[in-house]
This record gives sequence, structure tokens and C-alpha cells, in this order.
Amino acid sequence: MFSGLSRRQLKIVDALLHDRHYLAGEVVFDLGEEGQALYILLAGRMAVLHPAQGERPVAELGAGDFFGEMALLDEMPRSAQVRALEDCHVAVLFRGDFEKLMESHAELASRIAMQLARYLGNRLRQMLAQRPPVAAQV
Amino acid sequence: MNRALLPYRPGPLAWGGIIAATCLVLFLFEKILWLVVPFVMALLIHYALSPLKYRLLLIGVPHKTAAAAVALGAFLLLGGLLFFSLPRLSVEVGSWPEMTARYLDGGIRLLTDSVRQLEKRSSLLAHAHVSRELALQIADLTNSFARKYLPGVAVTLAGWAPSLLLGPFIAFFMLRDGWRFKKFLGRSVPNAYFERTLYLLDQVDRTARIYFVGLLQLTVLDTLCLALGLWLLGMSSPLLLGLLTAVLAWVPFIGSVIGCIVVVLVAATDFPGNPGMAYGAVLLFLVVRLLDDFVFMPMTIGKSLKMHPLLTVLMIFVGGAVAGVPGLMLVLPVLGVAMVLGESIGMIVTDARLRARHAHARDLRERAACQGLV
Repeated sequence: MFSGLSRRQLKIVDALLHDRHYLAGEVVFDLGEEGQALYILLAGRMAVLHPAQGERPVAELGAGDFFGEMALLDEMPRSAQVRALEDCHVAVLFRGDFEKLMESHAELASRIAMQLARYLGNRLRQMLAQRPPVAAQV
Repeated sequence: MNRALLPYRPGPLAWGGIIAATCLVLFLFEKILWLVVPFVMALLIHYALSPLKYRLLLIGVPHKTAAAAVALGAFLLLGGLLFFSLPRLSVEVGSWPEMTARYLDGGIRLLTDSVRQLEKRSSLLAHAHVSRELALQIADLTNSFARKYLPGVAVTLAGWAPSLLLGPFIAFFMLRDGWRFKKFLGRSVPNAYFERTLYLLDQVDRTARIYFVGLLQLTVLDTLCLALGLWLLGMSSPLLLGLLTAVLAWVPFIGSVIGCIVVVLVAATDFPGNPGMAYGAVLLFLVVRLLDDFVFMPMTIGKSLKMHPLLTVLMIFVGGAVAGVPGLMLVLPVLGVAMVLGESIGMIVTDARLRARHAHARDLRERAACQGLV
């Protein structure tokens, strides 16, 4: 997500990131909770869980992945639960800090927002590709 | 796993807590005013200078250097202004007692002249010699006032001078290490409450920032409007008078009245025998007050404190009763922050899921700590 940022810009973002550690089994956030931050997984593995799938993870995340990104864009509730599968180290970018970044460093924030938009676009395309064509459904 | 999405609304108990906390904070603030005043001053300086620091960060200057550069720039600017205005100021300081007496005389003359005019129209007032009695009583009051209170005021101001120097010092460290402090606070919070705490800190910062930046903007707008009006009326030092009255308006109610009296005194002295100027100054003051209350205030400070007007007015009175003039000045920002804190703490305390998650995480940590122990 921060690819394309210069060393200087990365330093600015680094000042805004918070370090957190989660133990295996610990819940990072719940489905329905108001999202306030984006999480970047630095080490460990995490599971994305949804009640429709029971305890079977919807997705597994590894080092370098990020989650909770919708919290930076809107104030909608979290759409799934995220739980640590093993001891994890994450960096957290709070929405309020991202908004301040947009005010003070518009270019830097727009680069992050662009990466985010690309990521969401890819995910949408993947979801559409996984769904059967509408004609087949009918 | 799915959680109810009912928004939290503080109930009567939470509101009682918010108001009680505001009163307690104001009471404590009055006891440590020597620290609160430089701290508020530091917040004002911090919020005024932080955009400059962010600009320096953007061009690649590290946090420490950016804070030092901005602080040094502000210090040099202030030092330069003092350097150039000090010779003139030192000459003027000597004439301040004489000037004050002259303006007071001007005001008293305006008042007695106005009463004399009324005496000419009302035989009842003329028989009662109201103007003579008034002049005698005012003279008595001003003499005893100066004797009773001025030495105390002078001693208090002298005692405060060193603590005011703390303001820029605190502001510098706020500029330099504010972001570290936020991270430090975040680290001390358990994972379950982390997002809510960040939100809380952000809201407190946002409320204080909008309030203090709004206050500065309001002061500039008031100064410009008053200065323009006074200049059009033809009064001397319109900018200085405008600034003085705008700063006095920081104290709700009393400040505006004192500001108006100052302007009237100056008008009455600068234009003796022309009461129209003093009445014009009062009219100008009323117009700027109305602009302030209905246009400027909602544009600036009003954005930060979304509270009911009745509560605002009541709390201003409560603030005055609890902590006097400092209470009047500080009650609104303190209430704003207490509201944010009260609502957020209420939200966290009443959330059973967050408490359960915290208990679960604590349990996991204890089990991890006990691993391998027989």
C-alpha cells in the first residue's frame, strides 16, 4: 500500500503508525464494530471470519497484507471479524490521522488513496470473476 | 459475533458526570492557574504554529528540526517586534497612569454631562442635584478603587510573569514531541480498547484545536471589524483599541462590557463635548457583538462545540460561580472536552463485548506467561 512513496514520505507515514501485538486467538476487531483504523500485518498470520462461514476463515492474511481498509474511506461497520491465528505484529493507521494527512500532505495521502482504490478495484474484479454469469443464474 | 449497532447516547447519569467533571476541573484549574494559563497559551501557540511545522515536514525536514525551526522563527518574529516597539513602549509606559486618569476623567465628564442634559429636561433630577452627587460618588469610588485593588492587581501580574514564560516552552515541546506523546498514550491502552481510545484522543484534539483556532480567528475578525469602525468614526489608535477589545471579549459577558467601556472612555476623551462619538462607539460595539454572536461565532468556535445554547449559557454562569473570571474563560473548552471524554468513556464502559474481548486477551496473556511452568 505504501509502494511508490518516497523515503521522506514513508518517514511521515511512519510517525503516524501505531505498533500493536496480538496473541494467537486474540480478536483484532469484530463484525459490526465501527471501524476507525487500517491494519498492516507486519508478522504472523490472521484469519478473516464471517458468521455465514462459521469457524472456517473467509481468508487468511500473512505478513505484508493489510485489512480494515474500508475504515479509512467510510464510517460503515466492519464487515467481518479478524482474529490472530498466531502471535502477530501489526502497524495501525488511524482514520483521523489519515484525514489530517489529507489536509496537510495532500499528495502523499492521494498516493495512499490511489493504492487503496487499486486494491479495492482488484478485489471487486476477483469477486466478479468468482461469481457465475448472470445468464447462468437465471 | 454480530453486534448490535445501536449508537450510544449519554443518559442523565453520564450528563451529570460530564457537568460535575467540568465543575471539578474548573475548581482545580483555579487552584493551579499559574500552570493552566501557560498551558492554554501553549495550546494556542501550538495550534497556530503546527501548520507551519507540517509544511516543513512535507519538504522533508525531520520532526525535531521542523519544530525547532518554527519555534525559532516565531521567537525571532516576536523578538523583532519587541525590539522595534520597546523604545516606543518604554516611553509610553511612563505616561500610562496619567493616560488612564485622563481617559477616566473623559468618561466621567461624559457621564456627568449626559446627566446634566437630563437634569435640564427633568426638574425632579435637577432638584435632586443628581449630576453633582454622581460626580462626587464616582470620584470617591475611583480613588478608593485605585487604592484598594491596584496594588493587588500589580502584585498578581508580577507573580504571573515567570509562569507566562512557561507558555512558549511548553508549546515548543508540544510541537516537537506531540506525536510521540500520542503514540505513548496509545501504547498504554489494551488492544480491545485501542481503536476507541485513538478515536477519543482524536476527538479531544479536534475539539480543542477547532476551539482555540476558532478563538484566534474570531479575535482577528473582531479586531478588523472594530478597527475599521473606529477608524471610520475617526478615533485614535483604532487597531490597538480593536485588538484590546477583541482580546477582552475572550471573557464571556464581562469582557465585552469592559471592552465597550474602554472604547467609550477613549471616544469621550478624544472628542470632549461631542457625546455623539461615544454613542457612535457604543452603537459600533453593539453591531460587532451582533455580528460576533450570529455570524462569526457559528463560523469559528461554534463548529467545535455542538451544544445546546441554554446549556452553554448556564455553564458559563456555573463556570463563573465555580472559578471566577478564569472559569468564565475556560468553561466552554473544558465542557467540550468533558463531553467528548464522557461520551467515549460511557461508550466503552457500556460495551460488554469490548470488556469480554479484553478479559479474553488478558487470559491469553496469562496463559502464555504460565507456559512451561509446572
